[in-house]
Amino acid sequence: MTTQRALTIVAPVDVEHRPALRELLLQAGADPAGNELVPFGRITGTHFGRLLILDEATDLHGAPLRPLLMLMADVDGPADAYLERLVAVAGSGLDRLFGVCDGYPAGSPSAADRLAFLRAHLVKEGAFYANTIGRTVEQIQQEAQLREALQGFLDRSRRELIGRDPLAVRNAIRQFIEREPSLRWARRPVPRPGLLYRLREKAHLLAVPLALLPFTPLLIAGAPLFAVVLRLHELTDPAPRSVPDPALVKRLAAIEDHTAQNQFSALGFVKPGLFRRLLANVVLFATNYAARHVFNHANLAGVKTIHFARWVFLDDQRRVIFCSNYDGSLESYMDDFIDKVAWGLNAAFSNGYGFPRVRWLFFDGARDELAFKQYLRSHQHPTEVWFSAYPDLTALNVENNAQIRAGLFGRMTEAQAETWLRKL
Amino acid sequence: MSEALELDDIQGLVARGYGGLPEASFVLLEIADAVQARGWLSGLAGRVTAGSVRPDERAVHVAIAAGGLAKLGLPPEALASFPLELREGMTTEFRQRILGDVDASAPETWRWGGPTTRPVDMVLLLYARGRQELSALYEEEHAGFMAGGLHEIEVLDTSTLTDREHFGFRDGISQPTVEGLGREDVPANTVKAGEFVLGYQNEYEKYTDRPTVPASADPHGLLPSHPDDSALHDLGRNGSYLVMRQMSQDVRGFWRFVAGACPGPDGASDPEAATRLAAKMVGRWPDGAPVTVSPDRDDPALSDLNDFGYGNEDGDGLHCPIGAHVRRTHPRDSLDPDPGTDRSIEIDKRHRLLRRGRAYGPTVPPEERLLDAVDDEPRGLHFIVLCANIVRQFEFVQHTWVNNPKFDGLYEDVDPLVGRRDAAGATFTIPGTPVRERITGIPSFVTVRGGGYFFLPGLRALRYLANLPLL
Repeated sequence: MTTQRALTIVAPVDVEHRPALRELLLQAGADPAGNELVPFGRITGTHFGRLLILDEATDLHGAPLRPLLMLMADVDGPADAYLERLVAVAGSGLDRLFGVCDGYPAGSPSAADRLAFLRAHLVKEGAFYANTIGRTVEQIQQEAQLREALQGFLDRSRRELIGRDPLAVRNAIRQFIEREPSLRWARRPVPRPGLLYRLREKAHLLAVPLALLPFTPLLIAGAPLFAVVLRLHELTDPAPRSVPDPALVKRLAAIEDHTAQNQFSALGFVKPGLFRRLLANVVLFATNYAARHVFNHANLAGVKTIHFARWVFLDDQRRVIFCSNYDGSLESYMDDFIDKVAWGLNAAFSNGYGFPRVRWLFFDGARDELAFKQYLRSHQHPTEVWFSAYPDLTALNVENNAQIRAGLFGRMTEAQAETWLRKL
Repeated sequence: MSEALELDDIQGLVARGYGGLPEASFVLLEIADAVQARGWLSGLAGRVTAGSVRPDERAVHVAIAAGGLAKLGLPPEALASFPLELREGMTTEFRQRILGDVDASAPETWRWGGPTTRPVDMVLLLYARGRQELSALYEEEHAGFMAGGLHEIEVLDTSTLTDREHFGFRDGISQPTVEGLGREDVPANTVKAGEFVLGYQNEYEKYTDRPTVPASADPHGLLPSHPDDSALHDLGRNGSYLVMRQMSQDVRGFWRFVAGACPGPDGASDPEAATRLAAKMVGRWPDGAPVTVSPDRDDPALSDLNDFGYGNEDGDGLHCPIGAHVRRTHPRDSLDPDPGTDRSIEIDKRHRLLRRGRAYGPTVPPEERLLDAVDDEPRGLHFIVLCANIVRQFEFVQHTWVNNPKFDGLYEDVDPLVGRRDAAGATFTIPGTPVRERITGIPSFVTVRGGGYFFLPGLRALRYLANLPLL
């Protein structure tokens, strides 16, 4: 089975190059699918892609941080195979993009040189969430085409279909697909994940708790101490109220709500000290594990509007960037966080500097609605280039389309057929 | 236990919609002379109706836009403590996009509140028992504000209050019951006072941010001190935000469209089918019965019914389509994560609005709805809502529910009555057995003609604003 991967390339740039590079990105942003730097629309297997440049900054101890150029994509299949396709399609666009970065091959680099640079700057994410593991771009686009074709069919044939029983209507739909050459692929279901894949996932599911098992006495013995230290941190960590700069809000709003989907990139410091850094690693590890084994099909604890999300450590784990692709408005996205998964947000973000005060890792925090919303807005970073392979589909649409296709196969009772027809 | 509301400091419009004062005028004002205007406002503060009284003759209210606050001389740091949406106003490029104020509804075309029209600094809301009483009230106030450094931009008249809006549907049936006002209602419809009045707990059991002034800018102590910060005085307490939009309605356009979409066997329109389609689009029948409860016919016995849901009985929208106007503006228990449960209702309660709008223009009698225009009188709704957080309440409903083609799992259906249109018109999906029906190419029936965001101050705050130090 093809699973999705979070591709992240991070390349530091000199401060003097940052303005020109941002200008270049902003120009490319007008045509995310076909731009001359990274034409995401022409690289097979790209769900979402983004380019952004983080400004230079100083960390919590006053040490300078260089600007970072980031290329991120949510892709089908192994990251390395994607990099090869990326190099083949983007070609010299990569030279224009990364040319001023440290260590980029000078002159006119070969494809192998470019690939070597990208591989060297590939960063493993801290955690990755995919709405539905294994659903490829091709499947999503084909199933959208299927639904569109069936809408046309129903509009044309509704008169003849009225009064017929659900099973007969389902048969008429299946016959339509048999007749329709452009829907040939829809005559068979999506292949089930292979045995090897399922065994590997089961093994991973068990391996993590098994590996922890020998440490159980230690974990139990250490739990009270952990609780005390955690609570002390929570009570004493500064939680200044962030107030977003209206100019930043204006820049962010200008690139929001143009399609059914939106992008979100937010950057923050990990709270200082070893404890918070370790805890951030543990929480992101757990997030990754849960995303892989629990929240792996169209539902993140009640939130059904996120296509992909990732957390990536930057600058030797002094900073974290969180990037996601979601449906609808930022306000509804934040409300979903607060109303449905505040516990998860608290655990994942409370190691971030300035997050509203959290109690016992999971409580309060994001439930302080306005403080949380202002924290997110203040830490949000404009995304200069953002590509979506299916900008007019929400995650709910994608899932519904998959259910439409799945319902074409196998036997159904009349009641099942009636329920299935309501998805159309 | 609910907090006691300081009704003697809250403008009465929050507490009641004045069903007993069926006549109203909304006067749009521009401040020409701040010094005089403060003097006038000082007098007006004594005439503004408090929530503690139940007027049976007349009521007076005033709401102030960000521009008006600045002209009155509110210090910049106090102005900056207002939410960004109030400061920026309704007509930024971003808000045009999310509110759907584009094409014929673009602010450039507005009669008031737009970028090219005179700035509306304040709106004076006048209510009276009868036409004559309203005239008298207006004359009195007019003399006052004309001598008080204000320009009258326009008087927005309203038609005598009835229980119908212009398309012919019973309106105003569903209003949230504000906790602490002493009215009893089911929990699903009882909403924390802090959703509508600043200074009280909201549905998150938090206090919505409210505008403040530095204590030094309130030397006479007209304002209460801020509970969390003694260096600040509380300008927002007992205030609210008032959103106003003039929405012109094309009544004949609406009824002609539904008639045309429902041809009978002989080719002529089938009036019963047209009414049924209209009811499906609205989500209530003309007399008010909810379509989800009474799917096949209007039922006068259900006209006032407001205690119902969608999640359990009508999750797929077979009775009331998911895209219907009332279902998407107030989804009750129908949304994720758990349709049909209190968790879903909790989410709905964070997006409620106190509706205080009034219709304007002459009614189109039902028998004339399909006739070629016999008049071209403007008619519509002076939409007014009150809330404590414009972004989470008004803008959210407009953006995430009304104008969102993806609402609750849909694909391309905006609100069929008031949603933003693209060139192809709107699509409306009516779930059915064995398959759904789609109505496409639905034109626009509502056009925005003006609008603005205003602060509806508490009475102490109003007196403070009237007594700002002279510039």
